[in-house]
Amino acid sequence: MALLEIDELKVTFRTRHGPVTALDGVSLRVEAGETLGIVGESGCGKSITALSVMGLVPSPPGNIAGGAIRLAGEDLVGASPRRLRKLRGSEIAMIFQEPMTSLNPVFTAGDQIAEAIMLHQNVSRAEALTRAVALLDRVGIPEARRRAEDYPHQLSGGMRQRVMIAMAVSCQPKVLIADEPTTALDVTVQAQIFDLLNDLQRETGAAIMLITHDMGAIAEMADRVAVMYAGRVIEEGRADDILDHPKHPYTRGLIACIPNVGKGEGGEPPPLAEIPGVVPPLHLLGAGCAFRERCGSAFDRCAAERPRLLGPAAHPAACHAVEEGRP
Amino acid sequence: MNALLEAKGLTVRFPMPKRNPFAKRDFLEAVRGVDFALAEGRTLGIVGESGSGKTTAAMAAIRLTGPATGEVRFRGEDLLALGPEEMRLRRRDLQVIFQDPYSSLNPRDRVSHIVREPLDLLGVGDDASRDARVEELFSLVGLRRDQLPLFPHQFSGGQRQRISIARALATNPKLIVCDEPVSALDVAIQAQILNLLVRLQGEFGLSYLFISHDLGVIRQICQDVAVMYLGRIVEQAPRAALFSRPLHPYTQALLAAAPSLARRKSAGYQRPAKLKGDPPSPINPPPGCAFAERCPKAQAKCREERPRLAPDGDSLVACWFPG
Repeated sequence: MALLEIDELKVTFRTRHGPVTALDGVSLRVEAGETLGIVGESGCGKSITALSVMGLVPSPPGNIAGGAIRLAGEDLVGASPRRLRKLRGSEIAMIFQEPMTSLNPVFTAGDQIAEAIMLHQNVSRAEALTRAVALLDRVGIPEARRRAEDYPHQLSGGMRQRVMIAMAVSCQPKVLIADEPTTALDVTVQAQIFDLLNDLQRETGAAIMLITHDMGAIAEMADRVAVMYAGRVIEEGRADDILDHPKHPYTRGLIACIPNVGKGEGGEPPPLAEIPGVVPPLHLLGAGCAFRERCGSAFDRCAAERPRLLGPAAHPAACHAVEEGRP
Repeated sequence: MNALLEAKGLTVRFPMPKRNPFAKRDFLEAVRGVDFALAEGRTLGIVGESGSGKTTAAMAAIRLTGPATGEVRFRGEDLLALGPEEMRLRRRDLQVIFQDPYSSLNPRDRVSHIVREPLDLLGVGDDASRDARVEELFSLVGLRRDQLPLFPHQFSGGQRQRISIARALATNPKLIVCDEPVSALDVAIQAQILNLLVRLQGEFGLSYLFISHDLGVIRQICQDVAVMYLGRIVEQAPRAALFSRPLHPYTQALLAAAPSLARRKSAGYQRPAKLKGDPPSPINPPPGCAFAERCPKAQAKCREERPRLAPDGDSLVACWFPG
């Protein structure tokens, strides 16, 4: 049994175009001490997957229509709001994408971290504040004692994200969900945040679910990868297998479109490989493969029948062309 | 080199609010004596972290932020010396693509009008020719004619950036300042936009001043690169030299920070040159090398005396211990 198991999760949303299926039978698992990368473009269902695990899907309009999420065997979909509040922060924590909007602007960094500690552990306010300062120090904020008294607007983007991380790890959660933790940041700060998350994982043995659209981040961070497209997992496997031997045309595109800082080649780099077009709106998904409009390998079967996740259990892919061995 | 745009000693100082009426006023020097030259039909990349002054330097060069001192020659003419109306007319040749495709398009305006507006403001052509030009621009950047009457919110991030590009191209400019045009986009869409920019450059002989914090993107699109740190250029080199032989420790750290498929967690990858902390404050910057506090190679000399840009092979580098 894995630490976190998501089984055939189905999430629907009521929209003005009628009900749409944001997640359509998503199954994932994460072991303790392991980092699962979830990769895909905006609108593929990565963040909804994370919010479902946190019990934070807005309802209405959202609704978990089927499937199960189990944390160490305990079902989260049917759990009471009270139980979920207990688990959030202490057992599962989340680092959000935008540190400016997810921190409270009217409380100091130290107060916000201390609040999380006091909610879940039976300690005094003074003790919680001391721990908050220690955490700020641990995540690499210089002069942590003074910085704990700063408000979010007094901190740089990288420091705000560190405060978010300090808050998320304050109660040593078993599962840490990082939803594009570095998209708003410089590459140098991104590198610092990645190093920090890897260090924290080595210390605490937490499972990390890293959500990103960047295969470069996957290479540095992930042990295993799930590639999502239009609300489904379309390929899954060990990070090395996915990066070196991608099967699905979408995965291949995501890898090929990354500009390379490679050494030595002085000349004009060739044009980047593109994935043409954009992710289709969910209410316009037809019967076939959701990727077929953007796919170079599409053939008639792709319009008629939705591909299922098939192939070896360690590295399955959902593509008719792969299944039939077409080029 | 036959430079289209040449900046010499470009400096931008912002006055800070006084702490009390009798205090001495502090100045924030965002750009401190920057020199660069951009040849016709080429792309100069300016790379650095937030707060390095890269955007301010580029915007000051085309007089979109001020007050700037120094000299900026565009086809031999000093832009900083022009009067307001002369400068306004020169904008026909100088256009911008902004970073955020959400806030840089007026949400209450139809996109056809957004793209047409530069033509209206600068009085290019007549009514009919302007409409024809807008349609032509739409097909150039890969948008459809039936999308002309839509509003910005009906487009995705990548499509909005295409609209920004169409607007920048409208007046047939010589130079386009691209201010992190792809950093708000998914990598899949980023590739589309970068390829589009390269294609348009070849087609129209455009010159780009391209600002980015991502060296992968810079390598893809820029022939020449200037690395900025705390308002100064610390290394400047042609692409081949910069990527095969980065000389400044800051450039090396930026390269180590850029995500790469070759750096695998599975292979136990550990970043060699780790950058700690943030750059120092640009108000009263340190006397020596601004990077000394974060630099793994810093010595006493670095903290006391500021290194100047000096040639080293094909590159210019401002470091006491380059390489």
